[in-house]
Amino acid sequence: MNLSGKQNHISAGIRRWLASSMMDLILLLICLALALKAPNFLTLDNLLNILRSISMLGLLAFGMTMVIIAREIDLSVGSGVAFACCLVARLMAEGVPPVISMALTVMILFGCGLFIGFMRVSFSVPSFITTLALFTGYKGLALMLTGGFPVAINVSWYYYLGSGYLLGIPVPAIIFTLAFAVIYFIMKYTTFGGAIYAIGGNDEAARLSGINVPFIRYMVFGIMGALTAVSGILLSSRIMSGTPTVAQQWELDAIAAVIIGGTSFSGGVGTVRGTLVGIIFIGVIVNGMTLLNVGIYFQYIVRGGLILAAVMVNRIQELRTR
Amino acid sequence: MAAEPNLEVIEVRKTYPGTVALKGVSLSFAKGEVHALIGKNGAGKSTLVKIISGAVQPDSGSIQLRGSPIELKSPRDAGRNGIATVYQELSLIPDLSVAHNMLLADLPSRLRGFIIDWKRVYDRAAELLNSLDINLDVKQAVRKLGVASRQMVEIAKAMAASPSVLLLDEPTSALARQETETLFRVIRTLSEKGVSIIYISHRLQELRQIAQKVSVLRDGELIGTIRIDDASPNAVAEMMFGEACHGGIRNPSAVHENPHMEVHGLSRSGRFNDISFTLMKGEILGIAGLLGSGRTELLRAISGADPFDSGQIRIDGIQVDNISVRKMKQLGVGLLPENRQEEGLVLPLSTCDNAVLASMKRHSWHGVLSQQRKMSVVQDNIRDLQIAANDPAAPVSSLSGGNQQKVVIAKWLNTIPQVLLCDEPTRGIDILARQQIFQLLYQLSAKGISTIFVSSELEELLEVCHRILIMQAGRITAEVMPAETTPQQLFEMCIAAS
Repeated sequence: MNLSGKQNHISAGIRRWLASSMMDLILLLICLALALKAPNFLTLDNLLNILRSISMLGLLAFGMTMVIIAREIDLSVGSGVAFACCLVARLMAEGVPPVISMALTVMILFGCGLFIGFMRVSFSVPSFITTLALFTGYKGLALMLTGGFPVAINVSWYYYLGSGYLLGIPVPAIIFTLAFAVIYFIMKYTTFGGAIYAIGGNDEAARLSGINVPFIRYMVFGIMGALTAVSGILLSSRIMSGTPTVAQQWELDAIAAVIIGGTSFSGGVGTVRGTLVGIIFIGVIVNGMTLLNVGIYFQYIVRGGLILAAVMVNRIQELRTR
Repeated sequence: MAAEPNLEVIEVRKTYPGTVALKGVSLSFAKGEVHALIGKNGAGKSTLVKIISGAVQPDSGSIQLRGSPIELKSPRDAGRNGIATVYQELSLIPDLSVAHNMLLADLPSRLRGFIIDWKRVYDRAAELLNSLDINLDVKQAVRKLGVASRQMVEIAKAMAASPSVLLLDEPTSALARQETETLFRVIRTLSEKGVSIIYISHRLQELRQIAQKVSVLRDGELIGTIRIDDASPNAVAEMMFGEACHGGIRNPSAVHENPHMEVHGLSRSGRFNDISFTLMKGEILGIAGLLGSGRTELLRAISGADPFDSGQIRIDGIQVDNISVRKMKQLGVGLLPENRQEEGLVLPLSTCDNAVLASMKRHSWHGVLSQQRKMSVVQDNIRDLQIAANDPAAPVSSLSGGNQQKVVIAKWLNTIPQVLLCDEPTRGIDILARQQIFQLLYQLSAKGISTIFVSSELEELLEVCHRILIMQAGRITAEVMPAETTPQQLFEMCIAAS
């Protein structure tokens, strides 16, 4: 009796491990295939390049993981990045010191996040709707700030943030890794993270357990806003200008990475680690297809199919372990 | 009124894993008869209703409609045979109109169901409401209607298929007195049209006004069918409970002299009114009352889950202001909600995470949760409460009902509570788990932790509680000591006219 219980425990453990690692295995297989098929895939330069290319989108995806686990959504982040990019460039163009410009940008987008939380908490406006509105609003703000044309950035060291290297590693990749570590820790080891899972899984049970549901909602959107700002700042440094047309559809790519990573749209289930795999997945596929000279139009189709396939794999695993 | 049987249930038997829900019950329902079905929880009433409405299939036995046997494999089958059910949970779609809701199953249409014929929808709905003497605007959205009107629409909807048998499950539990009158008028109209009405309710006073016969079920058996004129509260209670045995293992000496929680003049409009009582330290205080008596609402208000209009709550002699769940939690008050899956647990999360849900702060250091401490706390819970969880990291939804309830209890025990508010803590759980939960309450009581215990199972209240308050229509109407009370007496007090 006791023994079979223990065996059950172990086999349940193996099944859970398999369920949570399926995507890792598939990613590994794809990498292997690309290493064999695509010249230059498995070079340090290329791998670092992938890491740099996904880092800005990755910041959004990490924040989006928290948002989706809390059973919310943020559609504004793509144009939020464009807004942040233009805002920081414009501030610097107006002579505000770079560090202060950056800090202001982060604070303003954090504040916009709190506003989404406010609409959700005080008026029960679904975040889908508030962020849809904000998506359009950000776009307008970005265009207004720049007059529709790129605003050049003339601070030479600023280039370093988006394109520089520290100990041979691209700076955005370092920030990406740091953000991952921090959010991973928050979601796994803090009461705040635990509360996010609880609210996403059942907000009424969370409230009746004495969890401060409004505060958590405010903070989740606030953090998402701050990460959007950082992403926008890195992007502005990468292109050394504030350009209103950047980061289009990034909100959808970020959501895709979260979903590929196995986070449930119905809330309460998911990991930042899964999102990391999801974002690398997207980066590797795009890079691999480019190396293999796959046409850009066709790439979109492949990416679309990929999202569906990934969700299928996750769903099948989920149904099997139930 | 014709006495020929319309619907007959013959020797129906149903077993569930572990229990026999119905032990061969035979009943017949005459044309135009309003036939009440009563019995305490678990007596088999709801199983019988489910069988007649096609939701559940019996293991053996048969159902006959006007003399010929019918087979009901699904609610659709029942509908086709003219058996309609109005459930307790309202099944209307709030944003659709009254007419749309009523005829949803079969909307009058043109072009082979391609285009809805709205004019005919409204006309037919109006006609139907008219025939039932219900006065409602058919174009109005259901959202704008009160509970009673919704109930009428629900019945009209059931009548749209012109059934010959109508099942009503506790139809008045959410209604006020005048609303109940309107409902009864509709039921009488139906009865005159020859519809057999099977009416489930505990409110004996009401049954007197509306029913002609009462059948009592107990432990899966039909105890008897009597005419309503013979159904005195006393007679019905005796049929429901039989030769009652009572007397628990609670320890009266555990109750201290000093008050732990004092509730004074608590009111919430439409829910409960001027509630005052004192909970002693270590006491297990029961609240007995029918569904809709305001017992759940009262408990939720005390826990801070819902607001109240006026009144005071004192804990250890100190008045509590700005009551919220978080405030009450700090003061050591925890609520085990009535519906554990919807309000007590976060189903996708693990047993472990659920057990520390209310006490994350206590088990963390500057917001960082110690995994080790969390695991050791949960291991203790699993041992102390005998929770059968092979894998504490698996979703709590994989546990049985009794074990899930224990996880909810663990959640509050981990907050080091002073007062536990338990709303139907034994609903849907097996006898062993139930006894374990009782034992736990006694242990807590011995430690000076007080409990308010709400249950619709009267024997259970008599077994567990030191003292029982009776709640009726939002007020506390009496107080009894379990040692001097039988379940029959308690039941009579719950249903007596106020």
